[in-house]
Amino acid sequence: MRNVIAKLALAAAVLGSGLGTAAADTANIWVRADGSNFMPRIVDAYNKAHKDQIRLDIIPNAEIIPKYGAAAAGGTAPDALSLDLIYTPSFAAAGQLEDITDWAKSLPYFASLSPAHVKTGTYKDHIYGLPFSADASVLIWNKKLFKQAGLDPEKGPTNWAEIAADAEKVNALGGNIKGFYFSGNCGGCNIFTFTPLIWASGGDILSADGSKATLDSPQLRGAIDLYRSMVKKDLVPAGAQTDTGANFFAAFAAGNIGISPSGAFAIGALNTQYPNVDYGITFLPGKDGGWSSFAGGDNFVVTKGTKKLAVVKEFLDFAYSLEGQTILAKYGSLPVRGDIAKDALKDLDPRYQVAAEAMAKGKTPYSVVFNDLINSANGPWTQMINEVFFGDDVDGAIANAQETMQSIIDQAPQK
Amino acid sequence: MTTITASTTAPPRARKLVGAGRRQWIGLIYVAPAVALVMVFFVIPLGMTAWMSLHNWPLMGEHTFIGLDNYWAILRDTRFWNALKFTGYYTVVVTIAIFAVAFPLAIFIEKPRPLTNLYRTFFFMPAVVGFASASLLWSWLLNVDSGLFSPAAYDLGLIDRKFNLLATFQPAFWSIIAMVVWKVAGFTMIILMTGLQSIPQDLQEAAVIDGAGPFARFRAITLPLMRRTLALALILSVAGSILAFDQFYIILRGGPRNQTLTAVYWIFNQSFVSFKLGYGAALSMVLLVILVALSLIQLWLLRKPEGLD
Repeated sequence: MRNVIAKLALAAAVLGSGLGTAAADTANIWVRADGSNFMPRIVDAYNKAHKDQIRLDIIPNAEIIPKYGAAAAGGTAPDALSLDLIYTPSFAAAGQLEDITDWAKSLPYFASLSPAHVKTGTYKDHIYGLPFSADASVLIWNKKLFKQAGLDPEKGPTNWAEIAADAEKVNALGGNIKGFYFSGNCGGCNIFTFTPLIWASGGDILSADGSKATLDSPQLRGAIDLYRSMVKKDLVPAGAQTDTGANFFAAFAAGNIGISPSGAFAIGALNTQYPNVDYGITFLPGKDGGWSSFAGGDNFVVTKGTKKLAVVKEFLDFAYSLEGQTILAKYGSLPVRGDIAKDALKDLDPRYQVAAEAMAKGKTPYSVVFNDLINSANGPWTQMINEVFFGDDVDGAIANAQETMQSIIDQAPQK
Repeated sequence: MTTITASTTAPPRARKLVGAGRRQWIGLIYVAPAVALVMVFFVIPLGMTAWMSLHNWPLMGEHTFIGLDNYWAILRDTRFWNALKFTGYYTVVVTIAIFAVAFPLAIFIEKPRPLTNLYRTFFFMPAVVGFASASLLWSWLLNVDSGLFSPAAYDLGLIDRKFNLLATFQPAFWSIIAMVVWKVAGFTMIILMTGLQSIPQDLQEAAVIDGAGPFARFRAITLPLMRRTLALALILSVAGSILAFDQFYIILRGGPRNQTLTAVYWIFNQSFVSFKLGYGAALSMVLLVILVALSLIQLWLLRKPEGLD
């Protein structure tokens, strides 16, 4: 009898261990809706080639932060999250994320990862987020309208005066055609596309460590005057004033806009959905030349205490491979690994190379209260841009925003 | 003898008590589901909100007890007081506008005439649309480029430049008022209609015989007898307006330039944009107190003269 029991126990142990090695681990990751094109593709590719699996949830952009907070409080947070990079400092400050410094630095290509992403992923000298998807801001122009207006369709504007002059010429075509477009009531859109004009001219809106608001720079004032002059001359559609970002890309895609600041995402979207729009891509210029770009996109962060760290790391490693970077590039994200960016983009539209170059030198403001300052529809940045582009009291609006931004920064829980 | 007296008087009293006790228990069992619902969906969440309001409670990370600090912070929160001021202004304007439309409509559809049912349905229909859906619909109608009003006026040659209704305060504000009246007046109309129908016809006829004109009859009979119905409609309108959020969030985003931030919008902003859940809870408690106080005042004002009931 004892023998039988021993044999049964042995059989159970063998079976158990056999099942243990055969059972694949599944990690759950979330991504905001902006990644709904490339994320399922890369997850599919990973799942096909690996034993461990990724389960993906796509969450609407506006809901992902509160939803993640609620899930974290209830102990049901996903193992990892592809998170708008600007939120990484505040998530890290809240003690919600796994410190991945050692692992990150052990990656052989760590030094080639998008510097702007790594900077926002770092909090108090520890790394909590690594680059996942990327988008750089650029200037796009409609070649057909340029040609009709007597402009060189192959040459985009390279400084502010050229932007204004080209927009005016296109606008003169009349009818529904307008020279320039921007979303005048969207904080996120304008930090992405308007601040590069200021950066390229030597100014900034926040100090490097995010502790000071610096809205009182002459470069900001100059860039405002550029937009104001175009609004005054009626080069911008009336709808721009109340556009909260819904029309950010659609206005240009409709084919009636001469010039518009946008993101690299526009290349994929125009090529696939609006093949009739012939467009060029260039950098967002400074007042007298030069250029700059906002490095946007997502950081990949890991929920503190997850038991699926190994799977998550394996997935991220796959995303960083040439295969992963090529899938991302093909479906709408710029590569985040500088050393293989060219290879990942080689079979794609050559215009991506401009965006990739912009990305490599892209800049992202650093703040633990970025959402309050910039993205909030009711925050000081959004309120200011709407007033200074369309209102009467430019100086008052700037002073008010400077004061409000500084007081939000000063009241932030941790800096 | 005494025992007989005792035995003859005691049993009925005991039976009475048993009967009353049983009825009480049965009554309690009947209301238990309602009590449970109120507890689960109102009392417990209210208690939790009050508890949260005493904490520094970020969306993520640990929460800490801070006593009344959130309430002291509210005193210095000019954005909240401005939002409250705007909410009050909106409440007064929209309530007057709703009654100004709903009362004549109620009088119009009160008596059965040909097509009355059709009119009733027609006027009431917007009330069944959710506020969020109605707001989305109107935000499209009001869109300067792709909507209805501005492009239509432009195409008809009435204006030479498309006019963005939502870009400045006054047109934006009145656009919202128009949308809310469209959406809510039908509902208020039905309430007022039931009030009108409950007025005894004899009173009106007697007044006509006494020579009272339509205005005198309205002032002396309709209005006083409608007091309770009006109180109900008024409290519903005021409470709904003080809690206004969807239309300002969806159509205006609090714009232009934060001039249409309502109290609930600010609570939402603090809770789910700034992620200060404890502070949001404290703001909610303050708004609750204001709302209860306002409702009590309205009830008191409208219940006072009960002579005619």
